Amino acid sequence: MRIEKCYFCSGPAYPGHGVTFVRNDCKSFRFCRSKCLKNFKKKRNPRKTRWTKAFRKATGKELTVDNALEFEKRRNIPVKYSRGLWDKTVEAMKRVEEIKRKRQARFIMNRLKKGKQLEKEEAITEVKKNIHLIKAPHAGKAKQLEAKMVQKLQEDVDMEADAI
Amino acid sequence: MRKVKFTQQSYHDRLSQILTDFPKLDDIHPFYADLMNVLYDKDHYKLALGQINIAKNLIDNVAKDYVRLMKYGDSLYRCKQLKRAALGRMCTILKRQKSSLEYLEQVRQHLSRLPSIDPNTRTLLLCGYPNVGKSSFINKVTRADVDVQPYAFTTKSLFVGHMDYRYLRWQVVDTPGILDHPLENRNTIEMQAITALAHLRAAILYVMDVSEQCGHNLQQQLELFNSIRPLFANKPLIIVANKCDVKKINELSEEDQKIFADLTTEGILVIETSTLTDEGVMQVKTEACDRLLAHRVDNKMKGKKVHDVLNRLHLAMPAKRDEKARPAFIPEGALMRKKAMEVDAPKRKLERDLEVELGDDYILDLQKYWDLMNEDEKQDIVPEVWEGHNIADYIDPDIMKKLELLEKEEELKERAGEYDSDDESEDEEMQEIRVLAKQIREKKLLLVVASKEKDVHGPRMPRTTTKVERKKLEKEMGSLGLDMNDKDESHYAQQARRSRSLTKKRKREVSVPPTSKTRSQSASRPPRDQSGVRDPKMARKATFLMKNSQKDRNRQGKKGEADRHVYDLKPKHLFSGKRTSGTNDRR
Repeated sequence: MRIEKCYFCSGPAYPGHGVTFVRNDCKSFRFCRSKCLKNFKKKRNPRKTRWTKAFRKATGKELTVDNALEFEKRRNIPVKYSRGLWDKTVEAMKRVEEIKRKRQARFIMNRLKKGKQLEKEEAITEVKKNIHLIKAPHAGKAKQLEAKMVQKLQEDVDMEADAI
Repeated sequence: MRKVKFTQQSYHDRLSQILTDFPKLDDIHPFYADLMNVLYDKDHYKLALGQINIAKNLIDNVAKDYVRLMKYGDSLYRCKQLKRAALGRMCTILKRQKSSLEYLEQVRQHLSRLPSIDPNTRTLLLCGYPNVGKSSFINKVTRADVDVQPYAFTTKSLFVGHMDYRYLRWQVVDTPGILDHPLENRNTIEMQAITALAHLRAAILYVMDVSEQCGHNLQQQLELFNSIRPLFANKPLIIVANKCDVKKINELSEEDQKIFADLTTEGILVIETSTLTDEGVMQVKTEACDRLLAHRVDNKMKGKKVHDVLNRLHLAMPAKRDEKARPAFIPEGALMRKKAMEVDAPKRKLERDLEVELGDDYILDLQKYWDLMNEDEKQDIVPEVWEGHNIADYIDPDIMKKLELLEKEEELKERAGEYDSDDESEDEEMQEIRVLAKQIREKKLLLVVASKEKDVHGPRMPRTTTKVERKKLEKEMGSLGLDMNDKDESHYAQQARRSRSLTKKRKREVSVPPTSKTRSQSASRPPRDQSGVRDPKMARKATFLMKNSQKDRNRQGKKGEADRHVYDLKPKHLFSGKRTSGTNDRR
């Protein structure tokens, strides 16, 4: 039993699901569901269809080159069964999967950081330009001026008092 | 005329084809000729073919005559009649041949099903009483699948099987059983066997039943043997003592053993076999084949053509160079294999034997043949899939090393701080800015919505015509953060008060509403619904009339008195007609 990759969306195609199409030149295409098959029949390019993994990898939205991704590879020469090797492999698989997920998440986060930066700058410019919609420019100034004047008067009085 | 000719031509062709396709008994191998005679009776056959020939000639003549007559036909009707007559006569001729044609058809079908026996090649011929084991023998030795049944005369015709020995193809011919009576009394089935015996130059395997299960005792079998003896002249002969698993020769009585002893002393080879246990079958085969080969070679040597071949053959014998002995070298493996081939060594235990032994308990377990490092891992259930990944894609003898490298990398990355969450807490200023930005955006949206709600259908009045209320102004400015408390002395408040007093002064000296019909002509005209209205009573009446007239129009949902638009609430194109696909349940 083997879980194949869907040709269109690169998702897992479990046995008993989907359709396998074999072309006249003996190339076989496996699809995980009729959505992918219908898109294929419409001659759509998976590298241009936004929701597919192929598109995401081709436009650099997801992690493509990484050591953790090299572990899962289709091997053409089968290895003889030995219990120890299989056990170790299963353990290794779990660990590799963890690391892979971490790295993929990190990659996407880094990509989205720029957006946060832009957001910040936008907020700053927005405030700079349109603050007058919220707060009048001289909103607290009258009080400040008054306070200053009071203070100045006080000082004058003090000075006069001192002079006298 | 053409039609007559065409019919004649077709008949002629068909009949000649039949005549040519059927084999001429004089032209074929005497074995087949005899066989056909036995099966189909030579005379009847020749007669039938002769009849067909005659019919063909008659048809030709008929056609010729009528064609000649037609040339002298005076009218079209006459010609038509002649044509009908000609065709009719040809058909009747053929109808008379019906029985011959039927017979020939049967002959043809049976002929096509005859086994293809090559009379010139190496052949082994099995003969004997019925039920002795000839068909079982042929089933064992070749790939033939002849019926084997407990009743006599199961095999009713000749059967051929093929086998290989010493890189040559051999035919094995199985015959129906022969009973012991003179030649004239024999029926067709036995005659086939006799024909085969007579014409085929083959090694004869005379099969005898030692256990006498065939229903005839050894004496009778011996009698038969002696009566057919003349047919065995010039042919290598072997006596096959079959069914020896039931009874061996040394278990027989004295006189029966004597029979076999006699036969052996005459120089005929007797071999005990059992087609059930395969004892001696191979031995018989090899002996018969060897003898026949030797016989054939002898014959060829005695013949005339040999010398041509011999002259061309030259056997080179290399002369000895020195005294060193150089024996033939046969590798170990070849020797072992040869030994295994010659002796019927006990074969290794097959799966089939195991199955037969265990019966119902047998489970097919191919995993026990696997070649693994540890024997006890053979019955393991191999995991194939984990969480959507194929384990086979990860299998690698170096996987642990690679994993170690990966872990090291991971450690380095972690130390370098790649995985630290960088949610730097923003300073207060930034947070304030964000809050303000949000408020600004909300305000903007509100402005947009308000501008959409503007009434653009009326005249566009400048902003100054709309009077700004003091309360509204103060509220707005207050929300913008300015201090709007006690602004009574502010400029705009004073202006507001002043403007009211001025207009008041100018407009009315006596603040009494007009009672008489005096029309006060003033700079600012009274509104329409107050001009010409003398008193409240009249004003009330006026409003009443207005509302009354509006009632009907409002009920009908009209915009005003000028609204005469007729709405099309059920447009025809939406409510009529059929749809090409779909229902008309919802319109």
